[in-house]
Amino acid sequence: MRHVKTGLHTFMAFPAFLLFALFFLWPLAQGIGMSLTDWDGIRAPSFVGLQNFFSFFKDSRALGDIKTTLLFTLGSAPLLNLVGLGYALLMDGEFHGKGLARVIIYLPAIISPLIMGYIWYFLLQPDRGFVSQAMMQWGFSRGLGDWMNEYWLEMLVLILVNVWQYAGMTMVIYLAGLQGIPQELYESAKMDGAGYSSRFRYVTLPLLIPSIRINVVTNIIGSLSVFDIIMSLTDGGPGYATESLGIYIMRMCYGSKTGYSTAVAMIMFFIILVPVVISMRLTQERE
Amino acid sequence: MNTRIFKLFTILAIACLLLAGCASTSGDANASQAPKTVKLKLFTGKIETIDIINDVINEFNASQNRIVVEQEYQKDASNIIKIKFASGQVPDIMTTYEQGFVDEGKFLDLSDRSEWWDRLLPSMKESCTDVKSGKQYRVCTNMTMAGFFYNKEIFSELGLKTATTWDEFTSNLKAIKESKPDVTPWFIFGKEAWHLGHLIEFIPHGYIKQSLGAVEAKKAMLANDKAKLNFGAPDGAMATFAKNMLELKELGYINSNVLTATSDNCVQDFVSGKAAMLSNGMWVLSSLLEANPEMESKIGFAPYPAYMPGSKPVVLSAEDSGYSISASTENKAEAIEFLNFLFNAENQKKYSEGAKAPSAFKDVSAQWAPAAVVAEVETALKDAVNIGFTNEKPAGFSGDDMGRMVQDLLAGKHTPESYAAEYEKTWDGGMQ
Repeated sequence: MRHVKTGLHTFMAFPAFLLFALFFLWPLAQGIGMSLTDWDGIRAPSFVGLQNFFSFFKDSRALGDIKTTLLFTLGSAPLLNLVGLGYALLMDGEFHGKGLARVIIYLPAIISPLIMGYIWYFLLQPDRGFVSQAMMQWGFSRGLGDWMNEYWLEMLVLILVNVWQYAGMTMVIYLAGLQGIPQELYESAKMDGAGYSSRFRYVTLPLLIPSIRINVVTNIIGSLSVFDIIMSLTDGGPGYATESLGIYIMRMCYGSKTGYSTAVAMIMFFIILVPVVISMRLTQERE
Repeated sequence: MNTRIFKLFTILAIACLLLAGCASTSGDANASQAPKTVKLKLFTGKIETIDIINDVINEFNASQNRIVVEQEYQKDASNIIKIKFASGQVPDIMTTYEQGFVDEGKFLDLSDRSEWWDRLLPSMKESCTDVKSGKQYRVCTNMTMAGFFYNKEIFSELGLKTATTWDEFTSNLKAIKESKPDVTPWFIFGKEAWHLGHLIEFIPHGYIKQSLGAVEAKKAMLANDKAKLNFGAPDGAMATFAKNMLELKELGYINSNVLTATSDNCVQDFVSGKAAMLSNGMWVLSSLLEANPEMESKIGFAPYPAYMPGSKPVVLSAEDSGYSISASTENKAEAIEFLNFLFNAENQKKYSEGAKAPSAFKDVSAQWAPAAVVAEVETALKDAVNIGFTNEKPAGFSGDDMGRMVQDLLAGKHTPESYAAEYEKTWDGGMQ
């Protein structure tokens, strides 16, 4: 009887496995094969072994892109979590207009990041943007200044716009986690004389670990594969100064280096995998 | 037992679905006797001509019942076409063209279509000719020009004449800067890398094309003939261009927000009299006139001034709106029939006037721009060396990449010498 059930389960899983193999395993295998060739998207490919992988680490533009991508992630992922958690704690309380406030915070997340980037560019454009013009009206003669010529300022703007857009999404996950915490735990902690900070540290945080894990992992993946916000705000420039690895892959692919760009995509897969596994392990231990 | 019956039913159901999918849809015996309709795909990246081409397509589709043409527009057409070729979903007719595809035999040889070539201007036929094989794989129906657009009113007020040398050019910019401090002498929209790439295309590449001649320049670029191209020389065309651009920036003759300004900013400043000059192609004309119709009488057009010893002013006069047929299409005759319809004089007149680009056909007379602008363009073409686009660039070094190098230059990351050396290195890298 047990054998029959196992057979049925395996059989029922077959369609899902077929789809997984067709849309994930097969493209992955093809991608690995392509990354070992010099395919330019036009001519027949030739096998070049690991040459594409070695070339990547010799390319100063690619290394600069790794730096930009990592900096963006280091700024963006923690901030998204902090701001999202802050919003969630606020929205978990009772006050008038809570529903509207939640909608306003979440709204940017449903707008296309490309459109969002263009809107922010028109707001923040040095000299001509709305913010610069308003600042000039208020007596700041340089407005926002030429932030697009300063690498650190450009990175800061990119991170802040990203946080502004996705903090609502992070908030929703934290909010669900907060609402799943039994009130009895807070009440017994109160009876034991725990203040707000102690309740947050010993009740809220430990029970939010599953939400923290989801948010940390998704924000790391999202930040490391950043593409659209940078494309629309700075176009990766000036030059290649703020180009991310995702944009680099796209440009290489369309720049007749299809085999090479696939190799970079494989490298990017591992760049994303390492911090994700580390954060999964850390949160698992806490849990 | 139940499990076995369930498995059997599932397998039968899947088999039925698969067989149903494979079945012919022509169950009706009469349907197989109806005339077969051929569907043609026209693939384009030219947003400005979508409506005009759709009008022509609708007329063509209504004129007969054998062929149905559909237009597909993609913003990033030159890249999307690579995916289409790679996936075997090649359109029958396309406006995208790349040397690599020519070399791979992806386009139909159109050299024997004398009914088209006899009508085309000789210079345009030459532009459509593949340097390597001497054959034609595309027909360009229009021409486009690029140079300096200038505000005639400002020039006239300050008593300036269009420059033929770089010294005269900088004198003009200086006069504008000193007399009209609120006016940007030359507005460059450098956030858009393609625009800066065009400056390379028209100024230093323009010098190479005029000094070697159009065909020899193409051959030198295809073969990466370093002795002729001389990109990295500290006193060569690239380094001199870089030095001149840095000087203009230093002197404040170009806009201070050069790296963040967009095309829209440039159009707005030019039509409102806040910018005296801009470099662009004829495609900007409709935006200028739309933004301010009163500019019609104020728009002047001039060639790029000579900037190297012994050189002459240049102006871009290149092929535009090129149509190729896929070598693998099963509908060659139908594709040619549609192009014959599209290329007739009446449709080309409409196209030329709609696209604001002069026709490449000798028998098409179109009012493609206001008469005053046409006169300016004709004078520029007569007075300067006419150059074409560089289609022979390395596949891995696009016009966008060239523009990004100019962004780096203007951001202060290069000296003229290091810029020239880097340019040569990147060009060589793109060849691999």
